[in-house]
Amino acid sequence: MGEGRAGLAAGEEPRWRSDVGEAYDHGMARWGRADAGGLGREALAYADTLYNLARYLTRSPTDAEDLVQETYARALTAAHQYTPGTNLKAWLFRILRNTFLSQYRHERHNPTVGGLDTVTPTSPAAEPAQWLRGDLELDRLRKVVGEEIERALMSLGEEARTVILLDLEGLTEVEIALVVGCPVGTVKSRLSRARAALRVLLKDYAR
Amino acid sequence: MTCEEARDRLLDAQRARLAPETRAALQTHLQTCAACAHEEAAEALLSEALESRLPQHAAPVALKRRLAAEWPGAPAAAPSLSRRWARYLVPAAAVAAVLLIGVPLAYQPAAERASARMVTEAVNDHLRILSSQHPLDIESGGIHQVKPWFEGRLDFAPVVRFDGDQDFPLRGGAVGYYLDRKAAVFVFNRRRHTISLFVFRADGLPWSTRGLRRVGGVDAHVTTSRGFNSVLWRDGELGYALVSDVDPVELARLAERLAPTS
Repeated sequence: MGEGRAGLAAGEEPRWRSDVGEAYDHGMARWGRADAGGLGREALAYADTLYNLARYLTRSPTDAEDLVQETYARALTAAHQYTPGTNLKAWLFRILRNTFLSQYRHERHNPTVGGLDTVTPTSPAAEPAQWLRGDLELDRLRKVVGEEIERALMSLGEEARTVILLDLEGLTEVEIALVVGCPVGTVKSRLSRARAALRVLLKDYAR
Repeated sequence: MTCEEARDRLLDAQRARLAPETRAALQTHLQTCAACAHEEAAEALLSEALESRLPQHAAPVALKRRLAAEWPGAPAAAPSLSRRWARYLVPAAAVAAVLLIGVPLAYQPAAERASARMVTEAVNDHLRILSSQHPLDIESGGIHQVKPWFEGRLDFAPVVRFDGDQDFPLRGGAVGYYLDRKAAVFVFNRRRHTISLFVFRADGLPWSTRGLRRVGGVDAHVTTSRGFNSVLWRDGELGYALVSDVDPVELARLAERLAPTS
């Protein structure tokens, strides 16, 4: 994984560092203490899940920590916008991803190796001859190890990684669409293409 | 159903999100189309690989402590120390925290990690039930209508000792997956809470032997993960995973009714 601070000059602190204290103060003012306890505890229960997504998005443990901390700070300031009873995890995911995109939009270091638009998976549906090699692929998928899956996932673009990880977290396509801010049909096709790309990569590792 | 339509629905089928009639049409297509059957197998294996083998990164303890300290709802802070003492005590406390929390985590036995994965899988499966618009393949007309429905759909006969009652009405059932195998899914209710019971073949799974709690006539792994309570136990050749956000005491009550008594 790249350890560089993507999009930052050497020695420069991420902007979210300085935002945390200010955001916290605003959040405390807006968020009644009676609500804060319950929602705060519930939100903190997702720290592991958010950090895991952040790790796969930023590719850096340090940046992931900063991203999660900024996500909670922003969630605090926006707590009044959260509707109780709706999916808190999806809401937090949305904040995390938006924060990531706003910080990394002009990412120069550590570019992704081909986003969804550049990864062109060979559609298994397109080539009937592939069925003849099908058993090899199934055999490979049975034996693939975690490190290889992680490497393959990391080599996908941000959109592909995001939809795969959100699907893995059990979010429905409707919830994923809310997180990434696009139509449900787009999520469905992104997920399908991302999984196809992953299968191609994992098959390549077998060669 | 065409091949294109079938492949569009493979992931929805895995996630138990298809309406019964669509699911039946897909199954019919898969039985007659080797290419799509291969696709189904590959997609299922990819999901299994992602769910059980992709490394999961837990948030560092220091980050959690920082968030808990900064966020409302955290336990009240201890009386503040003078800066002079804090200079020495804070690093010492951090080292102690690393030793107390980090070292046991680092040396968590593989069996415990595998056991935790079983809980994670059960919770993920329960979340899929919750998020599905059509979680049930068969609506309940009672256990004697639901259980026979599984005949021919599974490679085992699910044994369920509790028929449902007013406290825990049985809503229905579906065929799902648990890790690498098919599972019979039974959905109960407790007031407005949904409770999922997954019944599956128990062989080859890393059943925990530590920290078990007696539930009915079995030793069960009772735990809480991501806000969901779960009870996992083995009864002969079958494994059971009961998951819900219902109160743990009430979930244990249902588990006692489902588990063998002796």
